Amino acid sequence: METTKKLLEIKDLSIHYFTEEGVVRAVNNIDFELMRGETMGLVGETGAGKTTTARGIMGLVPNPPGRVVGGEILFEGKDLLKASNLEMRLHRGKDFSMIFQDPMTSLNPILTVGDQIAEVIRLHEKLSRKDANLKAAQILEMVGIPAERMSEYPHQFSGGMKQRVVIAIALACSPKLIIADEPTTALDVTIQAQVLELMRELQEKLGTAMLLITHDLGVVADTCNKVAIMYAGQIVEMGSLEDVYDNTMHPYTKGLFGSLPSLSMKSKRLVPIDGLMPDPVDLPTGCPFHPRCPDCKESCKSRAPVKTEVSPGHYVRCLRYE
Amino acid sequence: MIKKQAEHGHIKKRSQFQETWKRLSKNRLAMVGLAILAVLVITAIFADLIAPYPYDEQDYNATLQSPSLEHLMGTDEYGRDIFSRVVYGSRTSLYVGFISLTGGALIGCIFGAIAGFFGGKTDNIIMRTCDVLHGIPQIVLAIAIASTIGPGITSALIAVAVSSVPNFARVVRAATMTVRDQEYVEASASLGGNNTHIIIHHIFPNILAPIIVQATLGIGKSILLCASLSFLGLGVQPPMPEWGSMLSNARTFMRDYSYMVISPGIAIMLTVLALNLFGDGLRDALDPKLKK
Repeated sequence: METTKKLLEIKDLSIHYFTEEGVVRAVNNIDFELMRGETMGLVGETGAGKTTTARGIMGLVPNPPGRVVGGEILFEGKDLLKASNLEMRLHRGKDFSMIFQDPMTSLNPILTVGDQIAEVIRLHEKLSRKDANLKAAQILEMVGIPAERMSEYPHQFSGGMKQRVVIAIALACSPKLIIADEPTTALDVTIQAQVLELMRELQEKLGTAMLLITHDLGVVADTCNKVAIMYAGQIVEMGSLEDVYDNTMHPYTKGLFGSLPSLSMKSKRLVPIDGLMPDPVDLPTGCPFHPRCPDCKESCKSRAPVKTEVSPGHYVRCLRYE
Repeated sequence: MIKKQAEHGHIKKRSQFQETWKRLSKNRLAMVGLAILAVLVITAIFADLIAPYPYDEQDYNATLQSPSLEHLMGTDEYGRDIFSRVVYGSRTSLYVGFISLTGGALIGCIFGAIAGFFGGKTDNIIMRTCDVLHGIPQIVLAIAIASTIGPGITSALIAVAVSSVPNFARVVRAATMTVRDQEYVEASASLGGNNTHIIIHHIFPNILAPIIVQATLGIGKSILLCASLSFLGLGVQPPMPEWGSMLSNARTFMRDYSYMVISPGIAIMLTVLALNLFGDGLRDALDPKLKK
């Protein structure tokens, strides 16, 4: 039973970029799993390796310079890293698909939105052009855009509408997993809420699992069951929404919450995390967070922490809890 | 309800062609270009009906005559009617221009797209070959081709086509490289599109504009190159009329009988002008961002 419920399992995945300046350690030994129909938030600063993780799952790490240097990505028990190019291509769009950050650029400007939705359908299902168009129209209606607008071009839509189209494309073949890479970053707050609402609705309706990549903790609280916090290519804290939000363990996660304005608590100033994200070419020794950590001890500088389970399903990577 | 609405065919899909045509027809200059082109094409097709004399009929009683009612554009040194030769010449010129350009463009686009899309070693091999091809003067290349397969219209066609390949490859490669890294290309890959699909469906339509511009300018060049080949005796063989070769033949008489150069010259100029006007209009019409 356990194995059938697991949709995606990532074990010890590392992705590095080999550039002239040196090896960029974008993703280092991360592991997490995702059940069917579950939503997991992947939170972190810019450059924490969130997008690289997503590309790794899709098998679209730009190579060269990027390479998956170790680990396993099991999708329904099958290792995607061992799959051939053809197999991967058949998976993409059908079993898992991706929603990109910027709807302005992720739609082809010279194809009508209808054509772009129908394209995915025709890539994966043997349908005539007419049937594919019909299905595309239904999907468009599903995301709340009237089917008449099918023959319009992306520039005739507003940003929020475009993101709806992108969602429609991603959902066209009812994939089992959707990776949403900062789907609301390019949108304003009201449209953000609408798009998130729509995604949640459709996800419930279709039973799709979702990996939501974001740097917005509010968005995660709104949509996800599970959260993983990434820092410098590592997952520093992972657990259920309650675990991470109400029982925050890792100093970095605490720092993130501290830098959010709160409605309930009155404080004059926000508490930012000091310092900058380390250079991924030259990661600090020991715990990568130690130069910025308020609770840094001498041992943190030399010894890298390992994943520790503090309560069932709640993992932290910090020496304080080992 | 969703299905009903979808079925109801509110998917009033005007095809890309209709859209483009609607926008193109608003562009007056492009329509002028198209009209000239249409006249040229009709002239080429119905040359037998339009021309008052056969193109090779020599009349030694009427050599080097100025334009008159009998000979609208005068006659040449053999007494051939220049108007008839210009009319028949449109056939050769358009034929050579379009065929060689289509061939060159096709090959150039394929190689350019491959080079630009894959980059790296593939790119280097293709582009360096193009550089070599570019480095050989077109006339020398044409002489080499003509001496292998014999002079005539076919060798002119091949020579002109081959010499236009590097230009196309370069333009297409550069355009492909700007489009290759767009997010929608990655998005298509993330939806299961393979490389061929991406190049044909996403990259190619997005780089159509520079290709069209290159093609319209290229036809004029091809017609001119073909004319120079004919002049060297490697292209169209006499007595077949061709504007370029008429121009070349007439150049000895230019001082005294200027009308001999003017008529084929104007024909070439009009053709190239029409192609340019039409090409510019088409480029604007194909760009949905300029849509009103």
